[in-house]
Amino acid sequence: MPIIDVHAHVGPWPFHMDTGDAAFNISLMDKYGIDLQLVSAAEAVVYDALAGNAALREVLAVHPRLLGYAVVNPNRIEESAEDLRRCLDTGRFVGAKIHTHYPGRHIGTREMAEAFDLLDEAGVPLLLHTWGPEVALLPELLESRPRLRIIMGHAGGDAWREAAHAAAACDRLYLEHCRTVTDAGRIDYARASGVPVERLLFGTDATLIDPSVSLGVIRDAGFTSEELERVLWRNAVGLFGLEGVLSPTRFP
Amino acid sequence: MTAVTTYDWLRTAPEEFIGWDVDVLYGPWPRHHADIGLAGVRARLARSPVSRALAMSTRGALFDDAAGNIRTVKDLADCPELLPVGTVDLRDALAAEERLDALDAEGVRFLRLFTEQQDVEPDFPGYRHVIGQAVSRGLVLLHDGDPRHYGPALAGRGADVVFLDVHSYVLADFLLLARSEPGFRATTRLLSAPDAIERVVETAGARHLVFGSRTPFMDISPQTLRLRYAGIGEAERAAIAGGNVEELLG
Repeated sequence: MPIIDVHAHVGPWPFHMDTGDAAFNISLMDKYGIDLQLVSAAEAVVYDALAGNAALREVLAVHPRLLGYAVVNPNRIEESAEDLRRCLDTGRFVGAKIHTHYPGRHIGTREMAEAFDLLDEAGVPLLLHTWGPEVALLPELLESRPRLRIIMGHAGGDAWREAAHAAAACDRLYLEHCRTVTDAGRIDYARASGVPVERLLFGTDATLIDPSVSLGVIRDAGFTSEELERVLWRNAVGLFGLEGVLSPTRFP
Repeated sequence: MTAVTTYDWLRTAPEEFIGWDVDVLYGPWPRHHADIGLAGVRARLARSPVSRALAMSTRGALFDDAAGNIRTVKDLADCPELLPVGTVDLRDALAAEERLDALDAEGVRFLRLFTEQQDVEPDFPGYRHVIGQAVSRGLVLLHDGDPRHYGPALAGRGADVVFLDVHSYVLADFLLLARSEPGFRATTRLLSAPDAIERVVETAGARHLVFGSRTPFMDISPQTLRLRYAGIGEAERAAIAGGNVEELLG
């Protein structure tokens, strides 16, 4: 059974850790049996979206097991719009990534609304860094943007209960639970709140976080075998249109 | 199609065995949507690779330290896999000596502090008083919070301190502290970076790490899997999983 990791990064982080280059991503994928990883450039997330996305285009050209998110900086929406098109045109990018902390724009800001408009028009999934109770705004923000589908990265972080209720209220919101602080019961709570297993995705935050952490969360969630298939890869295939991307021997 | 699961990580392996977990609580915690009592915590541990733990009632952390300590000792008397941990409320430091005397009479050797819940900073007089009293009695401190804030106040005392909240993001600061403080240890709970555990082992030594899951508030498997797959030797893994706590227990 394959595994698709929908939340990962390539490149170094400004902490005391060896997060390395794409080869390090591949080595961790091999270690844990992850077939495909959807990555953004750490440089693009933290520092320079255009430069980071450009560097990632070169990485993706030589690493078929990696697919890309183009990082959108909501503070510079026009240049990010052009860059998003540039990335999507390569055929190696499958979505966009927006962080809220580094650009300092939170979900309820005018700049974020413009970024959501851009992604609604582009029609590709958005991996959004979600942290805090502002996630409760998302269902309303998606009402007027019918093509926008958002993966709530970290499932709201410390606001995982609010994130669960937001996802239960809108069928274009997906939960992805990677996080160092693995609060017990997050997935149970989301399911009890009405989030169907079809909208749970697997992500690791590698290479910032070792994939074993998210795999442990999945193990403790107690999914059935069929539910595991959905969470670990089938839901991602459906959301990103990845049919045929995985090896036929591992993708029945 | 019939689903077939073949993942190694789905099943517990011997490399996940934990001899001592230093971070276990039980009882009410009002910020959570549900509480888990002692029976629930014991059941959760019994399903996990954790065999023994240092545990305490949340009453002492949030409401009444004296009553909480009595509750912990009484509750755990019939739990052979759990060893009681005491606490002192840092907001009432003048009562510390009385609390510590009571814990000493019960043979409690671990003292857990809750600076976050009690809103206490390392330069507060009450905090310094409690630390001084505890260290002079040879207690092992189980300490919450950021080691960058509390580490300097604890250094230079020859203290045995287990930091319960060391995150990968602050690992460099912890390692700088550990260079000159042989009694400083961290739990592996938040050392989530792919090389964080390995860096501590390589640069400071495995003696500076112990296992602490924060059951029942956190999932256990992410932490036992991280240790299972860590790129360290078997002796180092055994030390982190329990050997280092055995040394502290004497």
